Amino acid sequence: MGTSRRWIFAVVGVVAVAAMIFRPGFPLSVSQETRHVFDLIDSLDSNSVVMISFDHEASSLPEVGPLGTAIVDHCFRKGIRIVGLALFSEGTAAGYELINRRASAAGKTYGTEWIYLGFRPQYTSAILGMGEDLGEVFSRDYEGHSLAESPLGSRIHNYRDIALVISVADGSMPTYWVEYAQARYNVKIAAALTAVMVTSYIPYLESHQLTGIVAGLRGAAEYEQLLSAPGAGSRGMDAQSAIHALIAVLIVAGNIQAWRKRRSQTGRGTNQ
Amino acid sequence: MNLLETTTTALLTLAIYSFLAGDNPFYKFAEHLLVGLTIGYTLVITLKSVIWPQAIIPMGRGEMPGLVPLILGCLILLRLVPRWAGWSRISLALVVGGGAGVAIPAMLKARVLDQMAATANGVTSWAGWIILIGVLATLTYFVFTRAHRGAWGTSARIGRYFMMVFFGATFAYTVMSRVALLIGRLEFLMGDWLGILRS
Amino acid sequence: MRDRLAIITATLAGAFMALQYFITLPIANSAYRAILSWMQIIAAFAIVVGVFGVIRLHLERIGRKRAGWLYSVTLLAGVLVMTILGFAGGIDRGTSFQWVFDHWQAPMQSTVFSLLAFYIASAAYRGFRARSGESAILVMAAIIVMLGRVPLGEWLSPILPNVSDWILNVPALAAKRAILIGIGLGMVATSLKVIAGLERTYLGGR
Repeated sequence: MGTSRRWIFAVVGVVAVAAMIFRPGFPLSVSQETRHVFDLIDSLDSNSVVMISFDHEASSLPEVGPLGTAIVDHCFRKGIRIVGLALFSEGTAAGYELINRRASAAGKTYGTEWIYLGFRPQYTSAILGMGEDLGEVFSRDYEGHSLAESPLGSRIHNYRDIALVISVADGSMPTYWVEYAQARYNVKIAAALTAVMVTSYIPYLESHQLTGIVAGLRGAAEYEQLLSAPGAGSRGMDAQSAIHALIAVLIVAGNIQAWRKRRSQTGRGTNQ
Repeated sequence: MNLLETTTTALLTLAIYSFLAGDNPFYKFAEHLLVGLTIGYTLVITLKSVIWPQAIIPMGRGEMPGLVPLILGCLILLRLVPRWAGWSRISLALVVGGGAGVAIPAMLKARVLDQMAATANGVTSWAGWIILIGVLATLTYFVFTRAHRGAWGTSARIGRYFMMVFFGATFAYTVMSRVALLIGRLEFLMGDWLGILRS
Repeated sequence: MRDRLAIITATLAGAFMALQYFITLPIANSAYRAILSWMQIIAAFAIVVGVFGVIRLHLERIGRKRAGWLYSVTLLAGVLVMTILGFAGGIDRGTSFQWVFDHWQAPMQSTVFSLLAFYIASAAYRGFRARSGESAILVMAAIIVMLGRVPLGEWLSPILPNVSDWILNVPALAAKRAILIGIGLGMVATSLKVIAGLERTYLGGR
């Protein structure tokens, strides 16, 4: 491994650690996209049901965890009922733990104020199936209780009983929610995404197939600001700024070095 | 989290970060443990959360419609037996064929028609016109049955410029994501484990 | 014979699932729901097959004492731990299964992906070159969006976030939309080929 590479690794580590310790605290403004999702949830009736699907791998938890936490907190604060599920197997335990933790903090009761359905593979058929009859896709919840006997579970038959579906995702799953749930059953879909997926979903937002997008640690920080409850997203913004600036500097430095090298080689070529 | 819990997590985290100094046995150990845990996790979740409630319980209640998916599922399991592996293709064909069938109307509507409608309806502003030009130019770039020469070539070249902007923006957002993961792990190491971060 | 049966199954299932979009008959709806439910169960069994495939591979490696067989022991120990915890203790909150997921599996996975932050920084310095007009556009867009999306960028100049938003909402959107439309058309064509029996790669490349 090259020495320059090791140096770059070390500089990235030092810059991140320094930014997290000293926290310069740059001001953060809330983007239109995040405010829109916030307003959307805020406008829902207190008794309405929001479906939150944890469509991500465990690897993205540091990024989608703060996003999911902020959204779940907002729903519980508004008295909105939450139906959790996962279309990625690893999202299953992550989503269950997340809602459970926030429900305990908010004093919410399982079965009446929130339920967790668990995991279904083959997302196409699962999304379409829930549009026909949720009880056919999930006869029992994650904890093994019959859905028909659950006060909240028995209230939901299909997407007509769901005010909003939020896909907490690190991949292409919101696309399938749009293509199979929104296009066919006209349910509103919002996406809480890892930043890397933003460019893929902007066309769906502009065409109103997606109702809203909130993305990345920055999106979580903005949402936390709207909730007046700073959390992991807000704490991470200084380090995010510092490393972005470092990478921008590295790109410029690398290009200057390459340009000088090319110039000196051309010079030598001309001399010869 | 108590110190013992955070220390085990921290040691596994550091074992993976040791890869930055080069491949080594600590990293390899953590990597294989991670793969093993993930496989075990997937097996448990699939069996307990899907197969048991959706296939086994209905069978136990004597519901005959439940027999069909169970048979189809068992055909898939035959893939593990080389001599009979071919039978699994029937179940696979149902998933592939069924998936293809539902995809046709869904893709046509959501990915093609709705996106085209949004492009056409957007031309009430300058940005909408730029989007229309960008969409058409990028689409011409992907037409490989026609030589990229003359006006067609110019359009394809403009499409390439649009794609370069898209790739640049995607790179920036990729940086954002990966940095967020690093921040998450550092927050754990310095905050939850070592306790040197302000809350 | 088996392959022919598979092709007929794919054709019938595909044609029916495509046509039912336009049919409102209750019997068609019942069949549609049944097939959707079967597809999920088949997919679940396919996951089990995949899991046992990996386990078999590592058992073979241990049996033949191939290079790195001790790591295969670690891997199988991981499988065993999670399986026993999941079946013996349950998967609810507060169980050991959930504990191992929260404290070992999830943190290790995110650590693996966070390694990329270091490699991206290295690649940015060593390989992200503006050698032509097109690559210069790529580099400029990346720098503007990278700075425009963090609080530091807002602090440096209020123009940066606006330009970054414009890049995302106009040219990047246009390119991605064209890609989406292209992929959409491609998927419709592939689906039609599957239903017509012309696309048979799912049979194993034949």
